[in-house]
Amino acid sequence: MNAQGSVPESARRYALRRALFRFSQSGLSLVGLALVVTLLMIAVFGPSLAPYPEHLGGAVNTAARFRPPSLAHPFGTNELGQDVFSLVLGGTRVSVLAGLAVVMLGTLIGTVVGAIAGYAGGWTDEILMRISDLKLTVPGLILAMAVAAALGPGILNMVIAIALSWWPGYARLVRGEVMAKKEELFVTAARAIGAGPGRILFRHILPNILTPVIVKMSLDMGFAILTVASLGFIGIGVKPPTPEWGSLLSVARGYMPDYWWTAIFPGLAIFTAVFGFNLLGDGLRDVFDPKARR
Amino acid sequence: MLHFILRRLVLIVPVLFGLTALVFAIARLLPGDPVALAAGPNATPAEIAAYGKEFGLDRPLIVQYGAYLSGLMKGDFGVSIYTRRPVIEDLRAYLPATLELVFAAMFLAIAIGIPAGLAAAAWRDKWPDYLSRVVALGSISMPRFFLGLLLQLLFAMWLGWLPLGGRFPITEDPPALVTGFLTLDALIARDFTAFSIACQHLVMPAIAMSLSPLATIMRMMRASTLEVMQQDYVLTERALGLSSRLIMLKYVSRNAISATLTVIGLYFGWLLGGTVLVETIFDWPGLGLYATKAVVTQDFMPVIGVTLVIGTLFVFANFAVDLLYGVINPKVRTE
Amino acid sequence: MRKKFPKDISRRAFLGAAGASLAAVTLPEAAFAQSGGRKVLIIASNQDIPNLDPHIATGYSASFLLRNVYDSLVKIAGNPPKPVPGLAASWTSTADGKEYTFKLDPAAKFHNGKPVTAEDVIYSFKRAIRLNKGNAWMIQGVVGPDSVSAVDATTVKFALLKPFAAFLQVLPWIWIVSKADVEANLGTDDGQNWLRTNTAASGPFKVRRAEAGNLYEIERVADGWQKGGGNLSGAIWRIVRETASQRLMLQRGEAHIAVDLTSEDMDALKDKPGVVSIIEPEYRTFSIKMNTRHGPMADPELRKAISYAVNYKAILDAAGYADLMIGPLPNGILGHNPNLAVYRTDLAKAKEHLAKSKVPNGGIKLTFVHVSGLEQQRRWALILLDSLKALNIELDIKPMIWPDMVAACRSPETFPDMFPVYQTANYGDPDNIAFAAYHSSRNGNWQNAVYGNPEVDALIEKGRSESDEAKRIAIYREMQEKVVADAPDIFGVLEKRKLALRDAVQGFAFVPVASNAVECLGLSLK
Repeated sequence: MNAQGSVPESARRYALRRALFRFSQSGLSLVGLALVVTLLMIAVFGPSLAPYPEHLGGAVNTAARFRPPSLAHPFGTNELGQDVFSLVLGGTRVSVLAGLAVVMLGTLIGTVVGAIAGYAGGWTDEILMRISDLKLTVPGLILAMAVAAALGPGILNMVIAIALSWWPGYARLVRGEVMAKKEELFVTAARAIGAGPGRILFRHILPNILTPVIVKMSLDMGFAILTVASLGFIGIGVKPPTPEWGSLLSVARGYMPDYWWTAIFPGLAIFTAVFGFNLLGDGLRDVFDPKARR
Repeated sequence: MLHFILRRLVLIVPVLFGLTALVFAIARLLPGDPVALAAGPNATPAEIAAYGKEFGLDRPLIVQYGAYLSGLMKGDFGVSIYTRRPVIEDLRAYLPATLELVFAAMFLAIAIGIPAGLAAAAWRDKWPDYLSRVVALGSISMPRFFLGLLLQLLFAMWLGWLPLGGRFPITEDPPALVTGFLTLDALIARDFTAFSIACQHLVMPAIAMSLSPLATIMRMMRASTLEVMQQDYVLTERALGLSSRLIMLKYVSRNAISATLTVIGLYFGWLLGGTVLVETIFDWPGLGLYATKAVVTQDFMPVIGVTLVIGTLFVFANFAVDLLYGVINPKVRTE
Repeated sequence: MRKKFPKDISRRAFLGAAGASLAAVTLPEAAFAQSGGRKVLIIASNQDIPNLDPHIATGYSASFLLRNVYDSLVKIAGNPPKPVPGLAASWTSTADGKEYTFKLDPAAKFHNGKPVTAEDVIYSFKRAIRLNKGNAWMIQGVVGPDSVSAVDATTVKFALLKPFAAFLQVLPWIWIVSKADVEANLGTDDGQNWLRTNTAASGPFKVRRAEAGNLYEIERVADGWQKGGGNLSGAIWRIVRETASQRLMLQRGEAHIAVDLTSEDMDALKDKPGVVSIIEPEYRTFSIKMNTRHGPMADPELRKAISYAVNYKAILDAAGYADLMIGPLPNGILGHNPNLAVYRTDLAKAKEHLAKSKVPNGGIKLTFVHVSGLEQQRRWALILLDSLKALNIELDIKPMIWPDMVAACRSPETFPDMFPVYQTANYGDPDNIAFAAYHSSRNGNWQNAVYGNPEVDALIEKGRSESDEAKRIAIYREMQEKVVADAPDIFGVLEKRKLALRDAVQGFAFVPVASNAVECLGLSLK
């Protein structure tokens, strides 16, 4: 628990500087940071970096089907002559955006529910937590699969489906933190000067529990990307022609072993992205939450 | 102790009740027209209506749910609209395959994870430790379906050592049914050829499933072992002349058990959910593949059934882990 | 004997269950070492069998099952294909082609032990015509309810309503059921509910297990009336959704025949040991049906615009072993016009027609469904998506399972904007594709869910009953021009038949009609 709520500003900045120093001492975390930064860059600029941007929109070039990796096509071409490198670059945006959206949405719902439950306590707490427990009884992927199938394919539906199975984790985290904080001095003080519960929650408590939430978000990003890819792999992901890593891999599965490049590179992209976020998240946790270091 | 068990048991009831409601609500949202599908491609609207009635789909949702719930009590999970078989029979048939896979993956994770975690602790901050950390993060980051494909590519397609998928050859008769686990049944029947065939089919999916729990067990073992090694009483005992090996054995084994329990509790449901992807890739005839196919064919009773079974198993696994914690650590009981 | 659907799935069933279970031991040789001396042929196919009723079920998967379980008066064999005796040991016809007399094989008996009589034949034809589903279109307007009569217990006479050039060629697809069995299970729907899952047949095989979405196993009838044939004790129709999985199964010896392979699969199999590839021309068309009755595609100008916008070269490239279709009829069939003016990629013309349509600037979204797992169809969908961008038209691609797609054909409202269809000729006559795919009486069926044009109908009917070849050619040429002018389909490719077999399969003779509905009687396993 790294609450600096009652510490003076300079001390908070000092703690941050120390944390950054510790972070920079960890080689693996830096690798993770580098991977994540690269990933984000590709997500932003990917389509303009792609050597064949038209393939991202679904253009085909059937005269150049199944070309093995070469200088012109570093990752080869697929069954329609599309450049796999371009598709993988283009897929980054979908995966990162979807992952980000899932985590944001999950955090938003989870924080609101958790904060209310933790602050209100009593029956409200009991009911909200039982509901969130319910979500924890069904494995996320199965729940997401069922919901995604119910809503139909599409990025937005996929994000909603995953986020629906994602928020309880945040709800529990935030509830615990809120319960711990609400009896602390600075909250009691705020209450004493007449601040309402909403103001106390959002102005005083929540900013102070931002760090564990951010650490969890960074750790979860990797898994969110993984879940997005999993749903794409099952076939309830984005619609063609939008390139998405999971669905690219799912199609390419049929072309192994002869045209292995169509499968290997999208798979490696998923792995690298998830790995990068996990390294970063792990590093952040070490820094901000040394007790939890495992 | 009895009070503790009872209290936990009572807590399960509303969870299970909520589970059925949640799952039923989701499954009824599935798109498409399951009745038209069941009625067949050339059915007339009248026939479709008749089938809808037969399956009770014309009644209000709440009535359908009530009927479903009272059916559940009698072990009636409904009928698959697509295969026209009772879902309970399918579940019974597919569950052992999934459990066998989950247990095999668990076994691999524990058998490899514990020694690896010990090694990481013993060589703390040396290269085996760093390696273990990278491998652990890598394992968690590795999509199971991608690993499955890589394993298939290497061992089935290029080397040809292992079968591509399935659980047992369709033209062969499996060993006599006892446990439902083919490997065990083969051993019971003393049919070692069948045992070897079953193992060959099991190994790749089990590896693909085991990575995440393996990594977690490894990291937990490392952390708890390091903690023990720094405790005062260990230092004292060492000072008293107890051999360090004995000390390690004593505390480490306890840690190993608690780490294993935690991971089982954590990962049992996760593995059950994870079977969806791995079973799809390896055509492992378990609940995951059954559910995937049901979703594809918009057959909602099986989807409900599978989610329910997996959810229930998960709830009871956590219950069992709770109990075992209580046995190991009396403090938990009075909590 | 009647075989009921197994209510409880057997233990073996669920072990092998699900998708493309590639169950096998490590080595290909070992896979064939089947226990107990049983010889079970495994066929890997993408397509499920939605219904077992011989007078309702269509599609090659159902044809496979019916062909081996049921009998018909004549069978088809050879290349070029010729009618050969089936239930009928011999037959005669009159010179005007209006009367046929069939002498039934006296040995022929149903699985229930009763002999196949003229009564059963009459009952079967009447039922087929009464239901007017399945293959009934083949004899529509040719055989009436009163056309069939019994001369004696084993002699049947057909007095055709009008002569039909391809009469003997369609007979292999009209199955004979046991009157007694069907009558005993009639229900309220002419036995449809019962025959959906049960059989009343006389064929060399009977259904052993039927698991929807997974596999269908047939076994040789122990005391069947058909003598000879190969050494197969049975066959399994294994549903393997992905074509690549089919190929790998075959390669590893886990399947004996794969029927849905792509050209890439065939190339990959070329030099593999133990694999025999068959790449033969067959009358198998691939086209994309458009919803001519409902939605934006009801506008012929839009259909023409799309027909011109399609990248035909890419369609051909993606197909591999294939030729582009020239018009609605298969290239090379009687009456086909190789010089027909058809739509070829021409963006200027496409835009011209689009401008005349109700959506001159595009801006619409069309739905394209395809069989989930059929890679070839998915590729064409993506090519079409690319082609339509030039017209500012979006494509919503929806993979579906085959039974759902068939169900969507029931009405113009449920029929998607675009619907890709492979159509395998059941007989090598222009009437086959013409009638099945363009006659309006077929509306509601997957071969022609919505299209209808009275002039085209009339031509098809005329072509069907005309016996003079030169006149028929003229009729079909006119029909082709009219269909092209209506642009109900995007005429795709004529794919070569691509089959791959293990060399352990003996006695397989390629017949260029419905060769994917494998006939098992003559086959053996080494």
